[in-house]
Amino acid sequence: MLGDSRKAQEVFHTTLREAALRAPHGELPNEPFWLFREARWRCLEESKTDLEAEPLEMKEHEITPEASLQIEQFEPTQLAVWISAAPEPQRTALALFYLNEFDYREILDLAELKLSELSRLLASGRRQFQAWLNTMVPQVPKV
Amino acid sequence: MKTQRLSRRQRTLLNCAPIDEEPIRDRSMRSAVFRARGSNEFANQQSFDRAMAALVDAIPIPAESAEWFSAKDFVSASKWTWRKMARNPAVLAVGIAVLVIAGVFIFYFVSRLNDFPGSATARKLLTLASSTRSVLLDPINADAGTLGDLFFMKHGLEHYEVPPEFADFRTIGCRVFEDEESRRIAQIWLAEKRMQLFLFPAERNAKTGAVLRFPGWRYIQQEGWTGAVTEHNGVCFMAALRGRENDLAPYLAEKQ
Repeated sequence: MLGDSRKAQEVFHTTLREAALRAPHGELPNEPFWLFREARWRCLEESKTDLEAEPLEMKEHEITPEASLQIEQFEPTQLAVWISAAPEPQRTALALFYLNEFDYREILDLAELKLSELSRLLASGRRQFQAWLNTMVPQVPKV
Repeated sequence: MKTQRLSRRQRTLLNCAPIDEEPIRDRSMRSAVFRARGSNEFANQQSFDRAMAALVDAIPIPAESAEWFSAKDFVSASKWTWRKMARNPAVLAVGIAVLVIAGVFIFYFVSRLNDFPGSATARKLLTLASSTRSVLLDPINADAGTLGDLFFMKHGLEHYEVPPEFADFRTIGCRVFEDEESRRIAQIWLAEKRMQLFLFPAERNAKTGAVLRFPGWRYIQQEGWTGAVTEHNGVCFMAALRGRENDLAPYLAEKQ
């Protein structure tokens, strides 16, 4: 969400501290994803102060069968930076989806999105990342 | 590879298809994934997503934060609860059906619980009592207990005796008639609370012809009328009035 491990850690610890303070008073919400919702809200707050990239038309390419090989050549932190640079709510959608811990209904609930919106955000995210891959990583020759 | 035609909603769902090949709980998603399984486009998406998820999984988590995650999963699987199960439409439908069947069964069981030999005839006579007018009966002003002799002498009805509990009440009228099964029934109208008394043959065993006896008084209800029935010497006696069991009970208790 933030593309910065120091900030992410800060948000994580603040969220946990807040939860620990509220727990003795029985103030914790009775729903399964409140911690993630809280953390997401803090991430959005945190990134408000960051420099924002100018909105620009991202190129989109169809996903190729070689995409997985191209992705393997990436560094994990590069992907984290790429996702954190995506505009909201695409950033949340991609982050939650590729965390691979939630099903689509849970993501809809957490990100407060409609199914059509999530679908569109993920589909365009994939095509945009493919376009970026094609620019950054040379095409792997077909065997 | 040839793929099945997908609806717009299924295409929308496929963009959010789960990355792993674990069993999919959501029925519509499962159906969409099943239909798209053979397509190259979906295969590319799945391989892309798996590579991305693997890369995300490799993003280093600071040691201070990592120690918070003792378990493998961030989110524990939702717990099975009775409330959740009760909200399942299939369970709800089955539950309602079982309740209705149980209700019908209990209703029949309870109604059968009060049944006794002759109860069917007694119910018919209660219906008759509710529609009878006193003018239909032959006027007679006497003690109800004395009418047994009249029924025997005039109509040849043996053992058509009014029990002692009702023998002292004055009558307004009486008659003897045959029902649809040609059984001879005596009907007496009392001045007391416009009560009606019926005497009719007790039920018999179809094979042996033996009288089906039952002890004491039995109550039945029909269309706002209540009857108290007893059997003696092969003849059933029923006292009927408009009201409840409580209205009849004092008459039966008096002589007991």
